[in-house]
Amino acid sequence: MSLKPTIFGFLALAIFLGTIATAQTAGLWSTSGKVTTSGEKVAPTGASVEEIKGWMTLGDIAKAYNVSVAEIAQTFALPAEQATPDKPLKELESETFSVTNLRQWLAERQAQAP
Amino acid sequence: MTLDTRPRLALAGVKPQARKRTGRFSHRLWRRLSQIGFAAFIAFVIVQHWLAGDTSATTAASAEAFCPFGGLETLYHFVTSSGKFVPHVHMSNLVLAVAVLLTALLARSAFCGWICPLGFLQDLASGASSQLQRRVPAVHRFVRTLKTRAAFLAVLDRPLRFLKYGVLVWAVGGAALFGVMVSRDYDPWAALLTIAEFSLTPGLLVLLVTLGASFFVERPWCRYACPLGAASGLVARLGPVYLKRHAPACHGCAVCNKACPMGLDVAKAATIKSPDCIGCLECVASCPRAGALELKVGLPAVGK
Repeated sequence: MSLKPTIFGFLALAIFLGTIATAQTAGLWSTSGKVTTSGEKVAPTGASVEEIKGWMTLGDIAKAYNVSVAEIAQTFALPAEQATPDKPLKELESETFSVTNLRQWLAERQAQAP
Repeated sequence: MTLDTRPRLALAGVKPQARKRTGRFSHRLWRRLSQIGFAAFIAFVIVQHWLAGDTSATTAASAEAFCPFGGLETLYHFVTSSGKFVPHVHMSNLVLAVAVLLTALLARSAFCGWICPLGFLQDLASGASSQLQRRVPAVHRFVRTLKTRAAFLAVLDRPLRFLKYGVLVWAVGGAALFGVMVSRDYDPWAALLTIAEFSLTPGLLVLLVTLGASFFVERPWCRYACPLGAASGLVARLGPVYLKRHAPACHGCAVCNKACPMGLDVAKAATIKSPDCIGCLECVASCPRAGALELKVGLPAVGK
């Protein structure tokens, strides 16, 4: 059976876009780690340090992991004027601070807690 | 030399006539519109995300959420860790990866030829090169001289095409082993998607080299290094769609070879099921003989 080039193109686009539309209809579509596939906002829960992302703020982390912003700032030598609760972690990255370092520190802290 | 091919053509059931001029709404037009549409969408997402910023208060999607290869990179992690993703990857990446592979299975690597904005950028660079060579004779002479002097490098073309499979194994295997996208810093697509962050990465250098090389070789990234194209091409081999060259109707003019942006030898093949074929069908559109090149649907995997 022969296929016309234009039909072939539209078929390819239909398969590609159809798959996306099907996933969206089934609730399997999310373009951000900040919202779930059902559209609810994601916030750190303190359950696992793996959940910590660069877009989360110092305030989010402090609340979820029961630690003060000042303690985080002191541990990682963050400048006081930058270490504010509304500051996303990725904007604080330096030689002494990264999301990975913060995860490690919080994991050790959780392990030491009674 | 002109041969009378009419008896052979009659036997093959092919009319010995020149191809009719393609209409205004040829597949070339639709293909370009499709490429422009997807590229415009990605540009919109990049600008929107840049304007919105990236804090916990904003939920504007990053353009990286629309990269199908991220879905392939996270697949192992997703399956083995009960639905978790490697950093910078979301459910949309996984869905897009499935969409690309499903498209490849049913319509060859049409994603590369009709949708991929990085492929489109390379097409634009090659088009600009052609225009420049047509209008400025000095540029034409320079490119011609360069191509003549570098002709000995043609022997590297075939072995270099296997490089993309190595990149595929490295990127997907690395993400499975280390839980992060090991290729991200070197990925020209990731560099383009995060261009609004103004960060100088090796990926940006690869992007610039790719676009520069596109002035001399069409689709260099797709030919030699694209891991997504490699995966798509492998899946496409299992699909039912293939190109058939009717030898009796073919003049052997090799216009199809010149039209093929992936540099495939269409003029000598009986059927074209190369994993490098991007389904752009420029060869079919350029063929001067009606019925010499046709897109066929056959048995899956066998393709005949």
